[in-house]
Amino acid sequence: MAQTSAHAVAHHAPPQGFIRKYVFSVDHKVIGIQYLTLSLVSAFVGMALSWAMRLHLAYPDFHIPLLGWLAPNGAPNGVMTPEYYLSLMTMHGTIMAFFVLTAAPFAGFGNFMLPIQVGAADMAFPRLNMSSFWVTFVGFLLAASTFFIPDGPPLSGWTAYAPLSAVGPVAGPGQGWGQTLWVLSIACFCIASLLGALNFIVTTLDLRTKGLTMSRLPLSTWGWFIDAWVSLLAFAVLLPCGLLLALDRLGGTSFFIPAGLVFNDQLQPHSGGSPLLFQHLFWFFGHPEVYIIILPAFGIVSHILPTFIRKPLVGGWRVITFSEIAVGMLSFVVWGHHMFVSGMSPYMAMVFSVPTLLITIPSVIAVLIWVFSLYGANIRFDTPLLYSLGFISLFISGGIGGFFLAQPSTDSYLHATSFVVGHFHFTMGLSAIFATFAGFYYWYPKMFGRMMNETLGKLHFWLSFVLVYCVFMTLQLTGFAGAVRRYSAFVDDFMIPLIPAQKFMTVCALLLGATQFIFLFNAIWSRFKGTRASDNPWGATTLEWDTTSPPPFDNFGGRQLIVHHGPMEYDGEDSVMQTSPAASVAGT
Amino acid sequence: MSSNHELGMSSYVGIGVGLMLIVTVEVILTYQHFAPRTLLFALLCLACLEAYIAIMYLMHVKYERPILYWTIFPATLFVLVFLCYLLPDAFRMFNMRLLK
Amino acid sequence: MSQTEMTITVGHDVIMEASPYGIDKKKLGMWIFIVSDACTFGAFLFAYGYMRIGAPVWGTPFGFSSILNGLLMTAVLLSSSLTMLAAVRASQENQKESANKWLGITMLLGSIFAVLHLREWFHLFGEGWRLFSNPTGGAVQFGATFFSVTGLHLTHVVTGVIALAFVARGYIQGRYDQSHIETAGLYWHFVDLVWMFVFPFMYLMNAR
Repeated sequence: MAQTSAHAVAHHAPPQGFIRKYVFSVDHKVIGIQYLTLSLVSAFVGMALSWAMRLHLAYPDFHIPLLGWLAPNGAPNGVMTPEYYLSLMTMHGTIMAFFVLTAAPFAGFGNFMLPIQVGAADMAFPRLNMSSFWVTFVGFLLAASTFFIPDGPPLSGWTAYAPLSAVGPVAGPGQGWGQTLWVLSIACFCIASLLGALNFIVTTLDLRTKGLTMSRLPLSTWGWFIDAWVSLLAFAVLLPCGLLLALDRLGGTSFFIPAGLVFNDQLQPHSGGSPLLFQHLFWFFGHPEVYIIILPAFGIVSHILPTFIRKPLVGGWRVITFSEIAVGMLSFVVWGHHMFVSGMSPYMAMVFSVPTLLITIPSVIAVLIWVFSLYGANIRFDTPLLYSLGFISLFISGGIGGFFLAQPSTDSYLHATSFVVGHFHFTMGLSAIFATFAGFYYWYPKMFGRMMNETLGKLHFWLSFVLVYCVFMTLQLTGFAGAVRRYSAFVDDFMIPLIPAQKFMTVCALLLGATQFIFLFNAIWSRFKGTRASDNPWGATTLEWDTTSPPPFDNFGGRQLIVHHGPMEYDGEDSVMQTSPAASVAGT
Repeated sequence: MSSNHELGMSSYVGIGVGLMLIVTVEVILTYQHFAPRTLLFALLCLACLEAYIAIMYLMHVKYERPILYWTIFPATLFVLVFLCYLLPDAFRMFNMRLLK
Repeated sequence: MSQTEMTITVGHDVIMEASPYGIDKKKLGMWIFIVSDACTFGAFLFAYGYMRIGAPVWGTPFGFSSILNGLLMTAVLLSSSLTMLAAVRASQENQKESANKWLGITMLLGSIFAVLHLREWFHLFGEGWRLFSNPTGGAVQFGATFFSVTGLHLTHVVTGVIALAFVARGYIQGRYDQSHIETAGLYWHFVDLVWMFVFPFMYLMNAR
């Protein structure tokens, strides 16, 4: 039987004043919205960088006046140098992977929803939570500042491989202060994420309301909880990686720099280091990172689907949750598949390749559960559901590409082609973003008290869905043909026939970017003009729908919540909220 | 709430003395002219023993609920064990170096 | 219940599911932090191991006096763990003066550790050891790994001493209670635990 304890829980008084309410707020809901806003801004910055990159790839002489103003050295007359292309690529990856994909589904929605879904008044450590956001924000400012320094942002990619990233300014423009600011930015993000993960774990374990056993947790909470553990362990190893890189750059050490390196005719005064060590430490974090990005998406979609198919997921909470746990654990033993062509031991390549193929099993189980759950369901094709279906489609598309990359033999050809770029955009960028959109459309009424416009939502979905396939499937095909990634121009003989494809992708990418303004308009307009939302507009069952839209400052107005049901008790039009009396059964 | 009163303070002093003894053994072993690999293995075992004693007694895990033990140990050991995957490349760095 | 995080204005009982761990949430939070910090130190030590295995000539600067110094540092840190335990027990029995006394002694011992450590660092600097140079002609990574690992540990010690000062002050003023001291104690024991790995790997493996 569940054990309970009575706690004299300290409730904070409602904050007064603009600064305490909206700026330095300890309220997890405000912090969640702050993260989502930061992610939204970062997403548009990251997208703008990708537009500049795509324009240059398809139309190498295209003048971008804004770029010429921003970077007179990097983009004289608005035409970027090859080095500046790499700088834009680096910041696109960094901003998107960290400040959009890791921040929005986990820190954004997780912060807002997790305490409410467990029936708590706030996170376990509200002030730590506030610090986490502001440290993330400082990290973003550090990253953004690299655009405004004379030499520009670093050009070593979001992966910042040593020795290029470790030797300092001699390696190229942006490798001085740009790279140092980048390392500081990532260190801030690291620390903030660690503390955030800690908060999520303790909140989920310790602050559940009466009757909410772990077996009755909403699936999105499970997603955030598992993700918090993966985050905790992965970011813990990124921190030393970054510290050692900083020591190489600023302390004269040679952790990652071997002897005899010559950059720009200058022999580097280093010896004995190992660039492979950097790759090992980085990817030990880097691979779990991609699962840190996708696990909240798994959770969000698993949470949203039952509401719109009006039935529980096949296998209940257990199968999908244990699949997520398996994915999380396996994600730590596969990182070498990023290093098949790096000079790593080929025996280790085998050791990494096998679990990489194995990790597809729990992922496929999850996908099959979502797909099989649709069978025989009375589906409501509202925007959140469309985005969930889009997520499933994009994840499958990206996942299939993974089979080719998981094996050293095929990866030898495909490594560093745009096939890889297409693969990770599908699995990471597009799937997670579509799941984030699903969450956004689903939870917007709860967060802001208004419904988003359905017509605009559907338009946004269909245009985005078609266009992302146009861009990224083409990208994968050009990769098969041998198009090399991180190239700013296609001058080799074998790549010239691909130029029409490049132009096609650029046009579609720009249209895709324009489409996002539909979403932005919808989000902002609905805040003021959308139809007012009821407490439970979707007819869902979990605790966030058992309070007002938006919730009061302490989430439930001091009510004692008692949970008697699991999160997926749906039967067609009927559904049973988690707090309904124990005797209620859906469908009777 | 957990209570520290399973062991008296004198027991803890005894544990502290025991830990110091293990460290002294480590120092003695250092000067026995073992091969580096042997010394490393011995020191690793002793350090893990010390850590286990410290965690179970000083950090009180022995008297907490088993789930605390089963949370912290597997998670930490999981990361530490799989970090070993990077060591083969260290041996390659030594064995395949240019200047011998 | 403590009032560190929020001001109690409405203090009515809310029934929650009991924590599966049965410990104060601050302690659970500290344990989770310890897990991540252990992984951070672990990764550092693996990087050290990687460099050491891959280096043809490493360099062994530590004479017996350095090892003795290390043994002394170990004794100091272990004693501080015991005094920390004494502080926790005193606070559990509500003996405020005694708890504060033991906290003060712990802080003193931690500071002594830091001083001994820095003294040894400066001795090494005097011989020509740096982050990037090895006066014996061996691998330059010796200094890099030694100073970074011990430096990270030293940072944890110093941060711990400062944190204990804040906890002691809060405890005297009545804002903090035994749960804070227990939580700080956990951190302090962890710092000692890390030293149990740092001393054999960084000192004993490099003894002359």
